[in-house]
Amino acid sequence: MISHYEEQTRKRISFIILILIFGTFIAKLVTLQILDESYEASAKDNYLRYVIKYPPRGEVYDRNGIALVQNKECYDLMVISKDIPKNGFDTTTLCQITNLSYKKLKTRLSSARYTPRSGYLISKYLTLEQKLLLDEINIPGFYTVSRTVRNYPLNIGGNLLGSIGEVTPEMLARNPEYTIGDYVGTEGIEAAYEKVLCGEKGLALHNIYTKGNEHDSIIKAPIHGQAITCTIDAKLQLLAERLMHDKVGAVVAIEPATGEILVMASSPTFDPNELVGAQRGNNYMKELKNPRNPLFNRAVKGRYPPGSTFKLANGLIGLEESVLLPQNRYPCHQGYTLGKIHVGCHSHPSPLDLSYAIATSCNAYFCYVFRNILENRKFGSVKKGFEAWREYVESFGFGKKLNSDFLGESSGFLPSKAYYDKKYRNAWNALTLLSLSIGQGELGCTPLQMANFAATIANRGYYYIPHIIRPDSQNTLNIDKRFSTKKYTMVRKENYDIIAQGMWRGVNVDGTCRLAALKGWDVCGKTGTAQNPRGKDHSTFISFAPLHNPKIAVAVYVEHGGFGADMAVPIATLLEEQYLTDTITRWDLYENIVNKQINYKVYDRVQK
Amino acid sequence: MTEYRNNARLFEGIDWLTILIYVALTIIGFLSILSTKYVEDDPNPFAFSHEYMKQIMWIGISWIMGFVILLMRSSIWHKYAFHAYGFALILILMTFFIGKQINGARAWIVVGPLRIQPMEIMKIAIGLTIAKVMSAYNFSIERPKDIMHIGCLIALPVLLAILQNDTGSGLVLFSLLFMLYREGLNNWICIPLIFMAVLFLSSFMLTQTTLLLSLVAVLYISMAMMNKIWKIAIRAFAATLLTSIIIFCLGLFINLSYYYSLLITCILSILVIVYYAFRTNMKNLYILAAIFTMSIVMIHTSNDLLDRMFTHQKERIVSFLGLKSDPRADYNVIQSKIAIGSGGLFGKGYMQGTQTRYGFVPERHTDFIFCSIGEEFGLCGATVVLLLLFGLIYKMLKMADKQRDTFGRVYCCSVASILLFHTMINVGMTIGLVPVMGIPLPFVSYGGSSMMTMTILVFIAFNMDASTRLSISSDRDKMIF
Repeated sequence: MISHYEEQTRKRISFIILILIFGTFIAKLVTLQILDESYEASAKDNYLRYVIKYPPRGEVYDRNGIALVQNKECYDLMVISKDIPKNGFDTTTLCQITNLSYKKLKTRLSSARYTPRSGYLISKYLTLEQKLLLDEINIPGFYTVSRTVRNYPLNIGGNLLGSIGEVTPEMLARNPEYTIGDYVGTEGIEAAYEKVLCGEKGLALHNIYTKGNEHDSIIKAPIHGQAITCTIDAKLQLLAERLMHDKVGAVVAIEPATGEILVMASSPTFDPNELVGAQRGNNYMKELKNPRNPLFNRAVKGRYPPGSTFKLANGLIGLEESVLLPQNRYPCHQGYTLGKIHVGCHSHPSPLDLSYAIATSCNAYFCYVFRNILENRKFGSVKKGFEAWREYVESFGFGKKLNSDFLGESSGFLPSKAYYDKKYRNAWNALTLLSLSIGQGELGCTPLQMANFAATIANRGYYYIPHIIRPDSQNTLNIDKRFSTKKYTMVRKENYDIIAQGMWRGVNVDGTCRLAALKGWDVCGKTGTAQNPRGKDHSTFISFAPLHNPKIAVAVYVEHGGFGADMAVPIATLLEEQYLTDTITRWDLYENIVNKQINYKVYDRVQK
Repeated sequence: MTEYRNNARLFEGIDWLTILIYVALTIIGFLSILSTKYVEDDPNPFAFSHEYMKQIMWIGISWIMGFVILLMRSSIWHKYAFHAYGFALILILMTFFIGKQINGARAWIVVGPLRIQPMEIMKIAIGLTIAKVMSAYNFSIERPKDIMHIGCLIALPVLLAILQNDTGSGLVLFSLLFMLYREGLNNWICIPLIFMAVLFLSSFMLTQTTLLLSLVAVLYISMAMMNKIWKIAIRAFAATLLTSIIIFCLGLFINLSYYYSLLITCILSILVIVYYAFRTNMKNLYILAAIFTMSIVMIHTSNDLLDRMFTHQKERIVSFLGLKSDPRADYNVIQSKIAIGSGGLFGKGYMQGTQTRYGFVPERHTDFIFCSIGEEFGLCGATVVLLLLFGLIYKMLKMADKQRDTFGRVYCCSVASILLFHTMINVGMTIGLVPVMGIPLPFVSYGGSSMMTMTILVFIAFNMDASTRLSISSDRDKMIF
């Protein structure tokens, strides 16, 4: 046995050990709970999350207040993994309601297990009916969150309006205010006016333990995107798309007095509603694989030879340079022949003056005009003459971006001196470039540029940059000044009058586009039949009406449509009739055009 | 002979204050479990599938059981001590065949809805058994044979627990060292034992050679301290090192590594020590030699064993020591510290704790229940609970001192040790002072098994205390009359 003294010591020591242990604990508790404040913040970080609140995007209305783009409520099905009943639930009903396959549901539920306490997305874009059905069966752990998606009530203007997609890495790099997963406008108006439409993101403090969003405390409320009024006339747009049905090409109509785009139809088009919601991915791939390429906005990106419509430009330049006088007559015997060079033409009285040359679209006449411009002694050489010519053409808006509000606008193609120097190794003259006189050769214009050219002639010498945005009633929108500045061309007004007269004659007296005549409205127009190496000629027509105080300028381009008068003229005239008189009287013509099919070997061969 | 006490003096001598502490702790436990598990919009809050409802049941059963124990005659504990030990040992052995694995430990026997952890029964049995052994007439705490006897009684279940991958419960039995120290175990045995436990726990951090060398050093230092033979010990240590180097040099020809040469030297030195002990009649050297041999065997198998069985434990310890950050092992402790730390002085209020109620703290109703208290009642609440536990342990030690026979004293002291160890590990791990081990907080944590074990443990002590007081008062009566 140990001694009594030893025993007492040990008792004392064990008591001290006891005190030490509990003392350490309390000391540690004091440091944890009182002295160290960081744990409080960590605790908040644990269960409070900053959540971005997405605002609904702004609506888009047409010039008459008809809604083109609206927002639609849709629902996302979310799940909190740890609240799912342990003994299973009725997966069959859930799959039926959400149209998910059992396998997909299983994989999503298993991925949800990685974040057991926070919501995980199970199914997107549920309709109200689906939501109500889900509320009815009410499986613990599942809840729905509402948000808005785009809705297109008229189903028109796929390329014009554009669509919404997830932000790309390049865009993220340029715009730090976006974060990964944000949705932005990818094309058309949605992209052009992204800044206006997107609204301002809000911020909320989300208690992750509470389901759904109803308990979030809002720090900053999201601001609804601003609605915009665009210059499009919905009725006209709808008509244009109908008329272009089954044809490849584009229609652009501009109000000459303002530069506002009334119609911009690229054909084939797509149903914008298909690129919204659960099927967006599949439909997008479908459109992407379509050989006719509906996602390509031909109205601003297509590069077409302008054909005979370009004769107007040469006529204007000739008049301005005084190498052409309206009364000048040139002969045409089935075309223009010089040595080995021959430019064919159709049968018509010869010789002929300028206005008749425009009306009947004589090739030979404009070959003379073109040569006279380039070979003008004033310039000293053909090449200098060409450069002067090019400067004129550029002032009409060809060969460069018009700087409209469409982001993906193409500049078209206007060859330069250097281009020809390289191509012909410096050995070229006016005859080499003769096809430019009738709008063939290397020239490439977008339908927008052609419509703008029509508007320039309608305005007799100037244009406003075509644009899609229109000041709304409150005038809150800051519209870029460039859209309200006149852009003058290098040709004087009186020369335009002469050309416009010729266009009027072509429609109303004796010309290639008599079909375009509307009683009481002095329609002016110029057809074009653009040869191309890939198949049948392109059918094109530029027009404005009426002759004085024009209200509308139209450019129609139908790929492989044959003569200008075959396809483009009827489409343009129906549009003009609708716009000017608000009705269509020639329903047989309408039916005829809508039902007309064109055999596109070029596109449809790819499909096989 | 009836096993119950005389009806007339049913509740005499009972220490009501201590029982009140016990009752308070169980109620605090229930309220905390309710707070962590109660859900506002529960359609059926009284369903018995809820942990807090089950805990109510366990508390009820435990109280009744405690009451019954108080009615028992205190002599039966002494009588059936060995039976209990044998029974518990058989149950533990049975787990190897019919045991069920829960939380990585193959330590449970499942009978219908009941889940029994034989290690819990062992906690009760071992206190009684050791008390019985130590209260034997011819027992001496200073005699090596007797120490070995106790050592074996403790080591056997510890070993089985380790094999069951239930190291935590095994370590609880080590806490009896506290009791043994109080009972007069030689100082210098306690120290090498603690050293070796630490070495063993940290063995995976050292290379085997370093470990063996430090073991040899510990051996000689303890030898010197126990018998005040510093000179001889230093000489022996130097001799051992020298021998090992010589063997290493010789062994170069057969590519013998230094570790093996040291191992050979160690085996030789054990033989020398045993011979030396025989010659000088220093009995404690036998114990030292035995511990040393065991440790060497342990080291030899420890790396292998650790890798196979303690990966769980190893990660926690490595993470606790900050040697390697393991998010899985760290997570519990970080969340637990956040919960307690965010409580402040007065806490967030009952049922207002975000961390424990929202489930950031894992095992918040069992091993980490202290977080809930710390978060919702702050420093004040946590201190109150700690003081209650301290009071209970202190009272238990006082009861031990009051006991007239060794049996009661040793038993009460064992109970105090076990309670202290549980509290130390559990509270320590929630505030990041001790590596995480699956040890519940007595009377507070959820769980029927732990609740009943602890209740039986303390009520046997209460029962002994009551009869002691009764006999004291009756002696006083006799003196008066």
